[in-house]
Amino acid sequence: MKLSAIGIQRFLRVSSALMIAGLLLEIVSLLWFHPLSFVLFAFVAAALIGLGIVVYLVSLVFVVTPPAGNRN
Amino acid sequence: MIGILIAQIVVSAVLASIFLIRPSVTTGAAWKILAFIGLCVLPALCIVGGMNTHMQRSEQRRFCVSCHAMVPYGQSLYVDDPTHLPAQHFQNHRVPPDMACFACHADYTIYGPLKDKMRGLTRIYMQYVSSPPNPIRIEGGYKNHQCLHCHAGARSFEENPVHSAIMDSLTSEQMSCLTSGCHDTAHDVANLNHAKFWKATQ
Repeated sequence: MKLSAIGIQRFLRVSSALMIAGLLLEIVSLLWFHPLSFVLFAFVAAALIGLGIVVYLVSLVFVVTPPAGNRN
Repeated sequence: MIGILIAQIVVSAVLASIFLIRPSVTTGAAWKILAFIGLCVLPALCIVGGMNTHMQRSEQRRFCVSCHAMVPYGQSLYVDDPTHLPAQHFQNHRVPPDMACFACHADYTIYGPLKDKMRGLTRIYMQYVSSPPNPIRIEGGYKNHQCLHCHAGARSFEENPVHSAIMDSLTSEQMSCLTSGCHDTAHDVANLNHAKFWKATQ
């Protein structure tokens, strides 16, 4: 299945969901004063946010919206 | 500072939730720009801000002693004994009291903070997955350059005849400040039960 066939909206949904999960975990890691909070931030929260950014950027690169004149 | 970062994270999460609920709004040019800011720029800034906050936090004494294995080392800073090296540095503010651990144990080199973080992660692994060594030892021993980072060039240190006589041995690490019989009481957590403690007046 080609990436362009998946559709930008699904990409945006996945990217947003990853982003929200990562951001919420980042808040938890900032409020929790413990050495494990760094592990939570670096290996879970930042990874989810980073993945969300990558999914969003992939959607910009691979999902091609046809020009307005060619839409049927 | 942490409040600003949390506000930034909340704004990013609100924008992301808009695109989660209604991704179709991105058909407009203005929303496309907003999507780029909300799903790329702001989250990237949140990662940078979070990393910076966590790195600064890990320099605090409170952070170090929040780990169970480090509690006795934190207590040893309050030992009422003038020969107890870390306690004297802490109690007389020769190091910033809220960053006492970092001041003496940081690796003052260009990649030092990164190496320190990697060592910290190794210790977290030992604490939660394998088992921490008992007693805890510094890998490779305590280096003189960590003492000399502050003391080198200081008048009272340089003019001390004992120090000036062995300065070359100290700077070349041939003779240790701690294990050569001069300043050999560091932390000494094994004898904390018999120690007298200093109570800081508020």
